[in-house]
Amino acid sequence: MTDKAEAYRILVVDDEPDVEPLVLQRMRRSIRSGQYQFVFAQNGVEALQKLEQDTDIDMVLSDINMPQMDGLSLLERIPEVAPDTRSVIISAYGDMKNIRSAMNRGAFDFVTKPLDFDDLRVTIERTLNNLAAWREAESSRVRLAAIENELDVASKMQQSILPTEFPTTDNFEVFGNMTPAREVGGDFFDIFNLENGCIGLAIADVSGKGVPAALFMMASRTLLKGSAIGLNDPGRVLQEVNDLLYDDNDAMMFVTVLYAVYDPATRELTYANGGHNLPVIVHADGSNTVMPSTNGIALGILDGGEYEQSSITCAPGDTVVLYTDGVTEAINVGEEEFGMERLQGIFTSAPGDCRTAVEAVFDAVSDFAGEAPQFDDITCLALRVK
Amino acid sequence: MPIEVNRDSGTLIIQTEERVDSANAQTFYQELESAIDSEDRAVVMDMERLSYISSAGLRVILQTARKLQQQNAKFAICSLTGTVREVFEISGFDRVIDIHSSQAEAVAAVNG
Repeated sequence: MTDKAEAYRILVVDDEPDVEPLVLQRMRRSIRSGQYQFVFAQNGVEALQKLEQDTDIDMVLSDINMPQMDGLSLLERIPEVAPDTRSVIISAYGDMKNIRSAMNRGAFDFVTKPLDFDDLRVTIERTLNNLAAWREAESSRVRLAAIENELDVASKMQQSILPTEFPTTDNFEVFGNMTPAREVGGDFFDIFNLENGCIGLAIADVSGKGVPAALFMMASRTLLKGSAIGLNDPGRVLQEVNDLLYDDNDAMMFVTVLYAVYDPATRELTYANGGHNLPVIVHADGSNTVMPSTNGIALGILDGGEYEQSSITCAPGDTVVLYTDGVTEAINVGEEEFGMERLQGIFTSAPGDCRTAVEAVFDAVSDFAGEAPQFDDITCLALRVK
Repeated sequence: MPIEVNRDSGTLIIQTEERVDSANAQTFYQELESAIDSEDRAVVMDMERLSYISSAGLRVILQTARKLQQQNAKFAICSLTGTVREVFEISGFDRVIDIHSSQAEAVAAVNG
């Protein structure tokens, strides 16, 4: 979706002199291929001047602490000067307070210091995809103000936040996919690279549909990412996200989340559950089990909700299959539900790799549903231990 | 999504029908809005005839529960069937909503 006739222009705002040569060096391929152009400013005041003069800027990547005008004040001014842009903030590792402030001031996403350029590339891609979806929606909104269109916007926002790259290492691999329902649901999943080689896996389902649900989904996803890279315990991560979502949630929206952290060094999978379906583990011998339940309610509705966490030790060849209720509650023409039994019945032998496992789930649901309409998003995310 | 509404000696009893999914959740919400009077102090939702509820439907139940709490009314649901019960259990909503196995129990609870 980031195809655009001209290069996307990205304004980088940072007072550290090393940043400009570093960005130009590390992003040189994207610059040379004409995908991105970078412009630089040393502080918020200079950034605003650049935005006023250069109306082709699509995205702002800004540090928080800077002389004259800091990143948070800059964020507040951007909508007046350049409403058709997206902003990404650069924050200290795990600095939830500033991240939260930045989100409240309209930041789309954030990256942490020291800059990880692989992560930055993915973040830029997602941000620009989101911008492209909004621009398209904005132009079609002018053409027709139909409900279908609103659902289309929400659906594009949903697609734009899904990971497009899946990690594969000597120790594990991950793959995920989502098929949206025509009437937009609110499923999403995310993958986070954490400290000490650990990986965070999240799968979630937001209640409701349309743009308000899509916005709630964006907030959930960003808060989850922020808490995940700041806190190690999945239980505390869900607790923090719940507290943040609970504030200002008069619309009573909620999100069910299963969040797990896998440590390849110990093969330990630690997880907490906020009212979501429990994952299935397929073992190397083809047998499978449902992960033990832990206490926790869907996020956003219970003030001070607490989330129990639990750990299991995986064996080489284990595949952990996370999914949403779009899988188990898919119905066929006879209005029967797909159910847990059929889900577990898919795995009679160990899947070769993650992609095979995920595709097997989608194929089984699609065969079962036949001509019956799909009411909810169908999402599946798998982790395979090597 | 038709609902059936009865008032029985001060308790509003709402029967929910068939399924509540994202397609009819908004209609469900509007029907509940017009069924519930601001003077109501005891409300029971009987789900015996409800075979499926999606997350959009759960949200309507929560909105209703919050609205009733604001008008100082007591609210309980009852007679959940297999799948609907599972949805309430998995989502953890059985911890924030008062659930009873029969309508008589629920009526007693909201009048207690």
